[in-house]
Amino acid sequence: MEEGGRRRISIDLDRLPIKRLDAIDEIGNEQFPPDVSHEEKRLGMIRRIDFSSIVADSVGTRKKQKTTPKEAAPAPQQAWPWQGFVENLQLAHQELSVIIDLINTVEANDAVAVSGMQRPKQLPNENLSDLAVSAATKLQRLRNLGRYFKQSSKALELKVSREARFYGSLIRLQQHWKLKRQRVLAGPGSDGFSFDLLDNTSSDTTMLSRPLPNALVRIVRENAGLLAIQRPPKSFRCISISYTGTNFSSRSKKPLKGNIYNSVENPQANKKAALTDEDVNSWVKDTHSVLREIHQSIFLEQVFDRVNHESYCTSPGIHVTGMLEDLLQLAVGQDTSICMSLVSVKKEDDFLDSRGLSQKGNNGFTHSDSSALVANNEKDEFNQNNLEVPSPVGLEIYLVHIFHKNSLVRLKEKNFSASRVAVAGHAATESCGLTHFCKTVAHRIFSTKVLAEIERLVSRIPYVQLLSHPPWHSRTSSWSLFLKFPESVFHTACLSESSNNYDVKGLIRPQIHTKIVVKDDQVTVSGEGALGTLCSFGISADGSSMDSYGCDLDDLPLILLQQVSLSIAYTALFDRKALLQTNVLTIAGQIIRWLHDEALIVGMKVSRDFLCLYLELDQGDMLGLVARVDPDDVNGCISWWMIMEDGMADDGKFSTNSGEYKNRRFLGHLSLEALYSMLMDLVNVSTNSLGGS
Amino acid sequence: MDSQPTSLQRLHNVEKRLVRVLELAGAVMDELASSTGPRAEFLAGHCREFMMSIKEIQTTLREEIKSACEYRPFEKCDYSARIANEICVKKLEYIIDQLDGLKESIDNYED
Repeated sequence: MEEGGRRRISIDLDRLPIKRLDAIDEIGNEQFPPDVSHEEKRLGMIRRIDFSSIVADSVGTRKKQKTTPKEAAPAPQQAWPWQGFVENLQLAHQELSVIIDLINTVEANDAVAVSGMQRPKQLPNENLSDLAVSAATKLQRLRNLGRYFKQSSKALELKVSREARFYGSLIRLQQHWKLKRQRVLAGPGSDGFSFDLLDNTSSDTTMLSRPLPNALVRIVRENAGLLAIQRPPKSFRCISISYTGTNFSSRSKKPLKGNIYNSVENPQANKKAALTDEDVNSWVKDTHSVLREIHQSIFLEQVFDRVNHESYCTSPGIHVTGMLEDLLQLAVGQDTSICMSLVSVKKEDDFLDSRGLSQKGNNGFTHSDSSALVANNEKDEFNQNNLEVPSPVGLEIYLVHIFHKNSLVRLKEKNFSASRVAVAGHAATESCGLTHFCKTVAHRIFSTKVLAEIERLVSRIPYVQLLSHPPWHSRTSSWSLFLKFPESVFHTACLSESSNNYDVKGLIRPQIHTKIVVKDDQVTVSGEGALGTLCSFGISADGSSMDSYGCDLDDLPLILLQQVSLSIAYTALFDRKALLQTNVLTIAGQIIRWLHDEALIVGMKVSRDFLCLYLELDQGDMLGLVARVDPDDVNGCISWWMIMEDGMADDGKFSTNSGEYKNRRFLGHLSLEALYSMLMDLVNVSTNSLGGS
Repeated sequence: MDSQPTSLQRLHNVEKRLVRVLELAGAVMDELASSTGPRAEFLAGHCREFMMSIKEIQTTLREEIKSACEYRPFEKCDYSARIANEICVKKLEYIIDQLDGLKESIDNYED
């Protein structure tokens, strides 16, 4: 359809890259022009602009019988710009008519044998380029895959380390605390793990009146995989015991220093710094410490609850004088009262106290309005170093100890009697811990007073020693006063007459042993004077029977007031002076007895009274050595007087009226050695006088 | 057996191996995608290591699964013993305080 002679610029508007039939023969074989690659198409289009040459068909074979319309029109220039368009359309029309004929033939069900059409064989460079493209695509995909693998390996490493940190910490903590898991996710960031701090095996759940919501502590996972716990509110409480009206209390607990849970409400890991093993370690340790605190505070709450329960039942030893929600006031002894309260250590909880009372300081009573709960006795002399009363820290420890032991005993009984018939009144046989505690406190205060008196006594008599014998019972105390007489003739005399000795053990130095035992608030004084040996010197019968008097407490009230033993039972009306006086009298009496025996050994004629030693001189003269007991004397409790009397006295004994001053001489406070040497001098005097008469 | 004493450490090693396997796969892919063509020995070495690691992971996991015991929770709860220990700690602290006080007073006497 070329028009010759016209110069035209061919502008190809053909945008249809349709495969046009080149030819079709009767059999039905279609012939397509060979595939033109993209480059060739471009080249062809470029060349069409080139006027000078008709480039030979670079692609395809020469099978086609018709040149493609694209290459067919390089030369003629058409004036009408649409001419090519029109020609292309006409060609397309022709092809379409061919195809329509074919379709009509097929529709008419003529036997049309359609053979398969094969793709024409590719030229090698077509093959190569195809291969290159697919190879490049594969390379690209492989590279992506490689990058993906590497990224996922890094992510996996991070995840592995995070999980290792979390589960490593969890395993370490799980060795000490019960771990529970709920599959239902409570929230983001937590896997449902929690620590159960309630001890179900040993607590008597029926007795609990306080609900314990704090017992389940949730575990959360930090951003870096560290394990942290959510601290329940009001979870850090402890029992504080204080003496009412004072500041002397046991509340000295401070929150842990440097603990991660102290600074902020929910601890956050430092995101910038890389986490090391020490960080993980310190987190685990801090978490463990916090769990310990919470566990302890739960137990202390249970103890307080139990204390309240026991205070409801009336027992002889318990006197409740005040009660608040978290506070219990008890009177112990005669004039002291202690106050037990459940306080919280953290500062925030202080402000949340339900009553609005400030828990800082000793107790809530001093701020309370109700006057009925004012303390019985406000002692101002209590201070931190006061030794008159037992320290509150010790009391708190003891209280907790008692209740823990009781709970163990109850648990054993429960397990033991599980097979037996359940006894409804079984609770009556349980030991009431609070009674024991109150009695112990009362006893301690009382025994401190007793000890103070005894120390006062002992500090004034230089030759008496005080020994304390701690018994392993909290409501008993015992001390003993020990008086050793100096070495005397007695000892050597016994040695010389060794034919009748029983055993070497008997040859002990004479000594006096006074025992003082305080049980609850009863004082028992018992004395043993053990001259301890039987000798052929004929010590009087009461001397030898002394050491057979044991301290039999049951018999003591029956023993009369003797020189050997004194037994005094006091009830709550404790008279300190009387105790002191009795002790000193005992000692003085025993000194007199010792002197008496010494004198007998050396052959003097002596007789004795309770506190006097009478020496018979010649001509009926009597020399008396009198012990004077004054507990309040600062220089010494026992002082000695020498009294001289003629034989004209009526009954041979001295009259104790104070009229005869001229015969008395004050000797002062003598040591035992001085007394003994004085006695020996008197012996010389008397023998001389005897000899002289 | 002594190199990994606890099963926990063995499992941790398995995890590390998995990470290493992924790294190897990534390296192999990169090598295949390199413009100069893959080096055969490089690929062979990596693939060998890959296969060995996979085999080891499999054997270790199989052993661990077989030997994993039943977890019995809350066995021998020792909370009361723990409380007893806490009480003992408090007692000891108290006694140490007292002893320190005694020592101070002794030192004061010596001065």
